[in-house]
Amino acid sequence: MMEFCKLSAAEIAEGVRGKKWTAAEVLEASLERIKKYDGKINAVVTLCEETARKEAAEVDAKVARGEDPGLLAGVPYLAKDNFCAEGIKTTCCSKMLENWVSNYDSTAVKLMKEAGAVLVGKTNMDEFAMGSTTESSIFGATLNPRDITRVPGGSSGGSAASVAAGYCPIALGSDTGGSVRQPAAFCGVQGFKPSYGQISRYGIVGYVSSLDQVGPIARNTKDLALVMNVLAKADYYDSTCDAYDRPSFTKALEGASLKGKKIAVLSGYDKSHVAPELLEAIDKTAAYCKEQGAEVFEIDLPVARKHAVACYYMVALGDASSKMACFDGMRYGYHEDGKNLTDMYKRSRNNGFGKEVRRRILIGTCILSRGYFDNYYIPATRVRQMIADEFTELFKKADLCICPIHPQLPYKQGYVDDKPLRVYLGDAFSSISNLAGLPSMSINTGFTQEGLPTYVQLIGPRFGDDSLLAAASEIEKGFGAPECASMEGVC
Amino acid sequence: MARQVVIGLEIHLQLNTKTKLFCECSTDYIGATPNSNVCQICLAIPGTLPIINDHAVELAVKMGLGLHCTINDNTRFHRKHYFYADLPKAYQVTQYEHAIATGGYLDIVVDGKKKRVRLDHLHLEEDAGKLVHPTSDGRLSGASYSLVDYNRGGIPLSEIVSMPDMNSAAEAIAYITQIRQLARYLKVSDGEMESGSLRVDVNVSLSNPDGSLGTRVEIKNVNSLKSIERALDYEIARQNRALDTGEPLYMETRLWDDVAGVTRSMRNKESARDYRYYLEMDLAPINAKPEYVQKIRESMPEMPWDKRDRFVEQYGLSFEDSVKITEQLEMAEYFEKCVAQGAPADKAANWLMTEISRVLNEKGICICEFGVDAAETGRLIAKVAAKELSNTQAKDVFAVMIEKGCTLEEAIKASGASVGRVEGGALEQIVRKIIDGQPEVAETIRSGEDKKGGKMKFLQGLVMRETRGSANPAEVAQLIEKLLK
Repeated sequence: MMEFCKLSAAEIAEGVRGKKWTAAEVLEASLERIKKYDGKINAVVTLCEETARKEAAEVDAKVARGEDPGLLAGVPYLAKDNFCAEGIKTTCCSKMLENWVSNYDSTAVKLMKEAGAVLVGKTNMDEFAMGSTTESSIFGATLNPRDITRVPGGSSGGSAASVAAGYCPIALGSDTGGSVRQPAAFCGVQGFKPSYGQISRYGIVGYVSSLDQVGPIARNTKDLALVMNVLAKADYYDSTCDAYDRPSFTKALEGASLKGKKIAVLSGYDKSHVAPELLEAIDKTAAYCKEQGAEVFEIDLPVARKHAVACYYMVALGDASSKMACFDGMRYGYHEDGKNLTDMYKRSRNNGFGKEVRRRILIGTCILSRGYFDNYYIPATRVRQMIADEFTELFKKADLCICPIHPQLPYKQGYVDDKPLRVYLGDAFSSISNLAGLPSMSINTGFTQEGLPTYVQLIGPRFGDDSLLAAASEIEKGFGAPECASMEGVC
Repeated sequence: MARQVVIGLEIHLQLNTKTKLFCECSTDYIGATPNSNVCQICLAIPGTLPIINDHAVELAVKMGLGLHCTINDNTRFHRKHYFYADLPKAYQVTQYEHAIATGGYLDIVVDGKKKRVRLDHLHLEEDAGKLVHPTSDGRLSGASYSLVDYNRGGIPLSEIVSMPDMNSAAEAIAYITQIRQLARYLKVSDGEMESGSLRVDVNVSLSNPDGSLGTRVEIKNVNSLKSIERALDYEIARQNRALDTGEPLYMETRLWDDVAGVTRSMRNKESARDYRYYLEMDLAPINAKPEYVQKIRESMPEMPWDKRDRFVEQYGLSFEDSVKITEQLEMAEYFEKCVAQGAPADKAANWLMTEISRVLNEKGICICEFGVDAAETGRLIAKVAAKELSNTQAKDVFAVMIEKGCTLEEAIKASGASVGRVEGGALEQIVRKIIDGQPEVAETIRSGEDKKGGKMKFLQGLVMRETRGSANPAEVAQLIEKLLK
C-alpha cells in the first residue's frame, strides 16, 4: 500500500487530480494511522470520519466528472479545536465548551473545503489556546511524536504533533504569541504565522483579537505556501482582514534565491538563556545563507529584547479577559444553576474554565480596570508600537530577520507546573512578531543526537509573507525538509 | 438668590436600518417571535466577529450633520463590559472616546424665545436584548425565572449627549421634540417614545448660590414627554427641599416611578460599575472621509427650522402656523404642493390645520396615509379662493374626494355641485322666490333701514342654502339688489 503519510499535500493533491489515487484512499490511510497511534499521542480530540468520507467522495466525484477538484484536492487535514466547523464539536479543549457543536463554518474551514481539502478531525490544544505545552487540555496532554516523554509545545500542539506523526500533511493552528510556530518547532515540522490581517479570523475561537492569526503547519514550505494560496483572502466577515490583492505564495517559491538578500541576525540578548543547540542552529542558518550569497549582519532590537514579554502579557491578557466574557453559562456551554444571576455566572465560569484560563482572565480583568488600565495597558500599547517601529526600521535595512523561536529544546512533561513564569518567558522571541503584526515562521534545522528537533525563526516585513516563504524554502533546501516521525516503538 | 435648574439630556435614537448594527439580522422586532431575529454574530456564538452596518453609520452621520456636529474621520468602537443576561458578549460595543460626531448644537424656541443648546457628541452603539420576568399570575414582581429575547440585541442606536444647557422642563421638552422632529425629517429614526425608538435619560441639578453646579442626579426610565415633565418637576422640588433643609444630595442614578410619581434611587456613585472600556479590536476604524460626508450632506433635505422660517418669509404665514405646518415633513410638503396648484398660502395652511387635521385625527392616521393627493386638494382650495366654489360646496366635494379617493372634477360631479352652478335666469328665479317669501325683510332693505347690511346677508344666506352653495355669492348679492329696486 502507498505510504501516503510520507507524501506532501502538493503530491497528494496532484495524485488525486491525476487519478493516481482517490481522495477516499488517502483519507482511509490517514484515519488508519490516526487510529493506530493516537491512543498514545493524543493529538486528535474529535475524528469526523463520517463527514470526512462524504467530503472525500465529493472530491472523487468531481474528479470523475472532470471538474476542478481544487488546489488541495483530497488532502486530509486536521484543524485545531478552536476552528468552528458546522455540525462538529468545537470544544477549545475546555469543560466550558465540552459538548458544544458549532452551527457554522469558520471562513478558514469553508475555504479549505472549497479547495478540496478533507477535514479529518480536530486537534488537541491548550484550553482556549492559553498555554505553551498542550497540557492544559481537558482531554489530557498531547505527547511529542519525536520524543513521547516531552511536550509538543503549545497551544496548537495537537496540530503540530499530527503533522509530525504523519496523520496528515497539513494542519491548521492559531498563533497568538507563537502558538503555531513554537509547537511546530518542538515537533520538528514547519509552522507559519502570516501577517496580521492576512487570513480571516472569522469562526476561530481566538483569545486576543489584535494578535491572533490562523497559521498552517506542514512538513515543507511548499505546502505552507499552498495553504496560504487557499486561506489568504479578504473576508466580509472579518473587518480586520486586509482587502489587498494577495500574491501567489506558491509562485513566489519558484526561482527563489538567497543571493543578495540582506539578512539580519538578532543579537544583544543573553545567550546563556538559550540552549546551545539552538544557538548553533542560528549560526548554521546564517552560515548557509552567507554561502548562498546573502549578506548577513547582526542587529539588536532593544525595546523588543527588554519588554516584549511584559508587553505581550499586558496586551494579550487584557484582551483575553474581554474575549472570554461571552462564556457566561447563559446561551451555550457549561452551565451551573446559582442562587441568583451573579452566582450563576460565578459558578459556571469558575467550574467551566481551567486554572490557566482563570489565571489569565483575572490578570486581564485587573489590567483593564480603572487605574490599572492607564498605568499598565496604555504603556503596553505604546511599547507595542515601539516594537513595531523597531521592526519597521530593521526592514529598511534587511529583507529577513533570523532569531530563536524558543530559547529551549522541547521540555519534559510537567515542566510548566514547576515553572509557569519560565514558560511565559519562552514567548520572548515568538511574541514579537505578533505584537508587530509580522509574518514569521519556525523552520526545522535538523535534529540533535538524541533526536530532538532544532529550529530557528524567520521574520519578514508586514505583508511580505510571500518573500518570507520564498526565503524559507531556500533555507529549507540547506537543511532538508523534515520527514514525519518514525512511529515505530510508540505503540 | 434663586437656584437655577440645570438640565442635560442623553437621547437614544433607534436608527432606521433594516439590519442590526453588527450583523445582517432584521431589526423588525415588534411583534416578532422572541429570538427569531438572531444569528451567531448577535448571540456572540464563539468565533464570531462583528461587521459594521454602513447604513447605520450613514444615518448617524446624517443626524450629526443635522445637529451641526463635526464628523470625525477616525471613529472607533469600544467594549463596555458588564455581565448581564441581556448582553450576549458580556460587553456592549459602543463608541467611547472616538465618537462619530462631536460638538454641534440645536436651537430651540420656548415662549417665542430662541435658545441654543450645545451638544457634547453623538455616538453609535448597539442595543441590548430584552428581559421578561413572568410569574404564574402574569405579574412581573416575584418572578422565579426570567426569559431573554435577543431580537432587540444589536439594534443600532445613536446616543445624543447634550451639554447641561437647559434650565426648565419646558426647554427639555422643546429640545426632545425638536430632536425627534429632526430625526423624522432626516428619516434617521421614527422617534417613537412609546415603542422605545426614542429613549431619554435626564441629568438634573440645581446650581449653588455662587453659580457653581450642584449635585447631579440622573433619572432613567422616563418613557414619555409627560413623564419627563413630571419627573423633572418632582426631582427639582425634591432637590430644592433637600437644599432648604440641609439634607445631603448624592450623585446617583434614580428611576422614575410613573405610577407613584416619584424618583427612586437605583445606584449611587460608589457602587457605579467599572465598565473597563477597551478598544473593540475586532472592528476596523471607520474612516468617514470628507467626500463621503459631503455626499451625505448633499443628500439631506431642508432642515425643519429652516423650512419653518422660510414659510414665514415666503408664504407670509404666522410663526405659530408655520411651526404647526412644518412640524411634520409630510405636512409641510403637502402644504407646498397645495400652494403650487394655486392655493393661497393662508388658505392652504388653514385648510390643513382645520379640515385635514380633523380627518387625520378622526381616522388616527398621518398625512402620509391621507388618501387625497395634495395636487387635488390644492386645486380645490384654489377654486374656493377664486370663488368658483363656496366653502360649503368645497367641504362637500372634499368629503367625496376623501371617501372615494377620486379627482376633484369627479368629486364635483358626484357631489351634485356638478349639476352645475346655479346662475343667470335660474338663480334669478330662486332669488325672487326667497325675496317673495320674506316680504318684511325685503321692505326693511328697500326702505334703507338695513344700515349694517345684516338683512341683506340674511337673504344671501337663504339663497346660498337653497342652492346648496352652488351660486356665486357676488352674483347673488347683485341679483338681490337688482330685484329689490
